[in-house]
Formats: sequence, structure tokens, C-alpha cells
Amino acid sequence: MASNEEGSIGTSLHGVTAREQVFSFSVDSSSQTLQSDDPTAKFTLPVDSEHRAKVFKPLSFAKPHMRAFHLGWISFFTCFISTFAAAPLVPIIRDNLDLTKTDVGNAGVASVSGAIFSRLAMGAVCDLLGARYGTAFSLMLTAPTVFSMSFVTGPVGYLAVRFMIGFCLATFVSCQYWTSVMFNGKIIGLVNGCAGGWGDMGGGVTQLLMPMVFQVIRLAGATPFMAWRIAFFIPGFLQVVVGVLVLTLGQDLPDGNLSTLQKSGQVSKDKFSKVFWFAVKNYRTWILFVLYGFSMGIELTINNVISGYFFDRFNLKLQTAGIVAASFGMANFFARPFGGYASDLAARLFGMRGRLWILWIFQTVGALFCIWLGRASSLPIAILAMMLFSVGTQAACGALFGVAPFVSRRSLGLISGLTGAGGNFGSGLTQLLFFSTSRFSTADGLSLMGAMAVLCTVPVAFIHFPQWGSMFLRPSSDGERSKEEYYYSSEWTEEEKRQGLHEGSIKFAENSRSERSRKVALADFPTPETRTPTHV
Amino acid sequence: MAVQTFLFASLIIFSSIESNHGATEVSLFTNLENLLEVTAKPTRVGVVWEAGKDIVRITWMLKSSAKVNDDAAFKTVEVKLCYAPISQVDRPWRKTHNELSRDRSCPHKIVSKPYDKIPQSLNWTIDRETPTGTYFIRAYGTDVNGYEVAYGQSSDAEKTTNLFSVEGISGRHTSLDIASICFSVFSFGSLLVFLVKEKRKAKLQQRK
Repeated sequence: MASNEEGSIGTSLHGVTAREQVFSFSVDSSSQTLQSDDPTAKFTLPVDSEHRAKVFKPLSFAKPHMRAFHLGWISFFTCFISTFAAAPLVPIIRDNLDLTKTDVGNAGVASVSGAIFSRLAMGAVCDLLGARYGTAFSLMLTAPTVFSMSFVTGPVGYLAVRFMIGFCLATFVSCQYWTSVMFNGKIIGLVNGCAGGWGDMGGGVTQLLMPMVFQVIRLAGATPFMAWRIAFFIPGFLQVVVGVLVLTLGQDLPDGNLSTLQKSGQVSKDKFSKVFWFAVKNYRTWILFVLYGFSMGIELTINNVISGYFFDRFNLKLQTAGIVAASFGMANFFARPFGGYASDLAARLFGMRGRLWILWIFQTVGALFCIWLGRASSLPIAILAMMLFSVGTQAACGALFGVAPFVSRRSLGLISGLTGAGGNFGSGLTQLLFFSTSRFSTADGLSLMGAMAVLCTVPVAFIHFPQWGSMFLRPSSDGERSKEEYYYSSEWTEEEKRQGLHEGSIKFAENSRSERSRKVALADFPTPETRTPTHV
Repeated sequence: MAVQTFLFASLIIFSSIESNHGATEVSLFTNLENLLEVTAKPTRVGVVWEAGKDIVRITWMLKSSAKVNDDAAFKTVEVKLCYAPISQVDRPWRKTHNELSRDRSCPHKIVSKPYDKIPQSLNWTIDRETPTGTYFIRAYGTDVNGYEVAYGQSSDAEKTTNLFSVEGISGRHTSLDIASICFSVFSFGSLLVFLVKEKRKAKLQQRK
């Protein structure tokens, strides 16, 4: 007989809403004690079972979530300023160092190539040492290379220095990793979009900042050929300052710093070889690699060539060309977060399939406008095409990082690294093909690059998640494979599962149920009427 | 956001329509007659000249072969430093263009003087901001409205003779080099200090 006493059989409502924590495998004792203290009370923002924030408050600096967000995007922003600092000053630099178009183009390729390797390395560093150290290393070890522009005398030195400065773009990976461990999957698209977008803005700000700094230094009496070298001290100094801030104010994970957590046993140390293998084995990683190469990749290329393009083709002054070029990068402020937000919105309605469609739409539309930009022969049309192109491509970048966190839980850092490296690879490739020789005019190069991007965005149709589906296919109907737990725990061997090392992935799988479309999600929960109490 | 883009675009469009008013016919280089005789003689021979240091003696006058009233339209003479073809290779920003307003091969202005029937000369110190390259000198005779009507140059028509090389300043300075090294050491140093401090703190915590 059903009793009204608390705790008697039939009165418990545990499991009805299906939001309670239920683990398929046993949990160990340490996490039990954690839950009974209700440690979520010590966080300013509401958190989920992994202590990741469920709410995004951009104007807050609260420890640890919002602080990590702000330190992350500012580090990334500073590195973008340094990497593309040379671009608006190229008309001066090319005269000082007697560079040819090939020299300038090759240096542009070099500036983004270094990061292919550093972004890969950064993925591993984040997984193994934490995002804080990753960011600080990147900032403070590349600051000397920025300062060394004072020593450059010819094309070889110029190329070498730009190559070395480019290594700091690895902060992209540490920034995205940091936000992915600090924020819940439901809002990750928006958060990653904001962090990535506001960081990418550095590429636009530098086009304004460097000519301005150059002008001020010239007014102070320096010759142009010395002024541009002095101007480089500004981004270098910024890097050092932000690096110090990251080390003093930042925290790796919601519960503390990685080394502390590893020592106390709350976070298990993973093996690099395993992390690497599971990232590389997953075909989705490589599709994202190509996709990002033709959204972020062409964005990086544009950062290098657009100022010179407007200076040379439309006869604008250095500062005016800088302003126009800056508008491209500045659009990142709202365009990339918008992409992330649209991805989150699509996920709410259509699940992961919505995210994939949004990604394809934004990237293709952006690339089409890039083709138009190359064709435009009047300044106003060129600016209009450029703005629309920037919004489309940058929104695609934001949308892509709404998908990336779900590809793997175990190798999250390395996948961010590989995808990020893909961006740089795409940029190096497009600069090499279209902007380093006198074969194509810059205008033709832009159109051809846009056409190539349209083609290389098609692979997104092949990304398929058994539990959520793909652009054209429904999720698997197999009972086991259609569960998120199956997908995420398949990254761990049986031996590791027995040791309970995969618990983080299980928790993540639970929280990622949000990626099912609304229809499927509702159908999955047992309706209360069917759960008859055992004693009536 | 779309509205903002539209407003921005329309602003650009209207401002450019404004600037297109009053466009007149373009002056082409091929329409100009070679009426001026220009010579450029260095004060130092046999060495590459240095920007900001070496002096060139430039003279210009009406050619003896010119007819009587050819110089009637001349108001001023603009003397410019122009790139030789070798300095234009693989450098589209220095391209020669027949339309003079779009021509980029003579960007450095030396002097602009009112036209005089007698031969004129100038001892010109190569400008400190002149980039490294190979050059020749060209003088344009311009009319009252500033449009070029004739020209003369120190080299031949194919721009192969009488070229001179200039070495630009490097832009480097010892003080910059020193500052660069100091900042780099500071960057490395502060990173090291932090790492050591944190390792010590972690060791202490572990001992507790």
C-alpha cells in the first residue's frame, strides 16, 4: 500500500524528470564526498555536475569561470595583434627591406604556418599541463620574437621573425580549451564564439593600432624606417603584461589548478599517446580541420592581404586602408558570437543536425561574398562585399566551435589544437596559392580563394554522430549506439573503464543530451503515467 | 546588424558619388612630348649612393631641338625620382601606368620650380627616406592647372642608361637593439620566476 511517509516505496520521485545524475557505471568514493558538501555553493554562477558554468555573464569577472573567459580572450586578442602587426605597415616595410611581392607573400605564409605546429603542441599541453600554463608559455616565450623586429635587415630576417611570431597563435587553442572546461555544453557555442570572436578582433584592431602608433612615433621625430620597428614594441609589451595577468589571476579548472587537482587525485593524469590516438582516429577531426582551414584560414589570409589590397588598388592612404581593413577584423566582435549563438539556438530546436546545417550555411554564404569582393572594382561595393564576407565567415568560425567540443571528451584539447592548426594550414595554403606570386592579381586571388572555400565546405555533410545524426541522415536507431554514453565511452579501453577512468566522459555524455533534437529528447523520457508504483 | 551594414554601405556609396563629380579627361604619358633635357650628375662617382648623405647635381632646360613656342604652356617644372625597371620587378606597387594619375613609378618628389627659359640646376641631397633601389630622374612640365604637358628624363626611352643606385637607411639603431634585448630578458625571466614560485608552493602544499 502506498504510504505518505517520506522514503517509503513508491513516493520517491527520483528519475522522473530524468535530470538527476545517474551513472551507468559505479562511481568511486572521492566524488561521493564532493557531492555531499554541495561544493556548487562556492561558485558565483550556477554550475552543472562538472562544475562548469551554466550561465554566461560577459560583464562579470567572477572566479573562476568568467575570469578564465576574459583572460582567455584577451590573451588570444593580444597574440592576434602581434601576428598581424606587420600587415598594415607592409608598404613601409617593403621599402625599408627592399622586398618583392614574393617576399611579402612568403612572409605572410610563414606568419600563419608556425602556428600549425604550435597549435598541435598546445592541444597536448592543455590536456597535460592545463590551459593557464599553455597560455602563459605562448605569450611570454614569443614576446622576444616580436621585439626582435628591430634586428631585421632583409627578406630572410623578415620571414624568420614573422614565422616565429606566428607561434603565439597557439593561444587560440588554450583559450577555447579553457572556456570549454569552464562552461556547460548548452551555452558553449555562444561562449566559444565570444572568446574566439573577441580574440580574432585583434586582427582588425592591429590594422588600426599599428598605423596610429607608427604615425605618433614619426611625429615624435623618427624616420619611417625606424618608426615601424619601434611600433612593434607595443604588441610585444602587451604580451608580457597579459602573460603575467594570466599566471597570477587565472585558474585551470573550475575546482582549482590542474597540478593541484592531479596531486589530490580528483583529476586523473591521462597518457598523451592515448589522447593523441583517439583524436587522430576520429575522422570528424579531419573534416573540421579542412572546414576551419576555409573559414578561419581565409580570415587569417585576409588579415594579411586586405590592407595592402585597398592601399594599392583603390589608392587609399595608409591610415585609411588600415581603417577599412580593420572593419573586417572588428566585425568579429558580434559576428563570431552570433555564429556560436545561432549554433546553440539551432541545437535547441534541431539538435546537432541544426548545428551542422548552420555551419554549412554561414561558411558557404561567406565564401560567396569573398568571390564578390574580388570582382568589385569600385570602393563602396568592395567595402560592402567585404563586410558581408566577414560576417559570414566569422559566424562560420563561431558555429564550428559549437560542434567541436562534442567530437571528443577525452581528446578535447588536441582536437581544438588540430582544428586550430587546420585554420592556419588553410591560411598558409591560400596565401601560397593565390597571393605569393604575380600570376594572379590580388583581386583574382580573392575570388579564387572564395571559390575554393565553397568547395571545401561541402565535407561538413559527412560529419555523422550515431547518437544525433548528420546533415542528411537520422541518428542511429540501434539501442546501444544511439546513446551518448556509448559514443564517449568508446574512447576508453575496457581496462580503463574498469579502473573508472572514464567517469569524466560519462558525466559529459549526460550533459550532452542537449544535442538531441527536441522531438527525440522528449520521446526518450519515460512519461510518469507509465511508471506505476509497485504497491497500489 | 544588417541595418547597420546597410547604413554604412549607403554612406560610402553617397560619398563616392560626390567625389566622382568634376572628373575631367585624363592625361596620358604617351601624349607628352619629350621637350626637356634633364641631366643628373653625382658628386661621388663609382660608389652606391647613400640616402641622406650623397648629393646629386640635377639640371634641366628646354631641348635645343624644341620649336619656338613649345614651352608656352609651361608654368612649373616638377622634378621627380623614378624607379628603373629593375626596381619594379615583382613589385606591382611601383608599376608604370600610362594614365599619369595612376602611374606609380615616380612617387618621390624632388622639387617643384616655376619654369624659366634659362637652364636651371639643383644640388639635391638624396632624401633620407628614399628606399634602396635603382633610379633615374624625370622632370614634368606642367601647365597652369597642374596637368603635365611635357617631360624629360635623365635616362633614355627604355630606361636603361644613366641609372644610379641608392642605398636607403637601415632604420636600425643600437638603442633599439638594446631595448629589444632587455624586454626579451624580462619576458623570459618573469615566466621563470613564476614557474619556480609555483613549483615551490606546490611542494609545500604536498608536504602538508
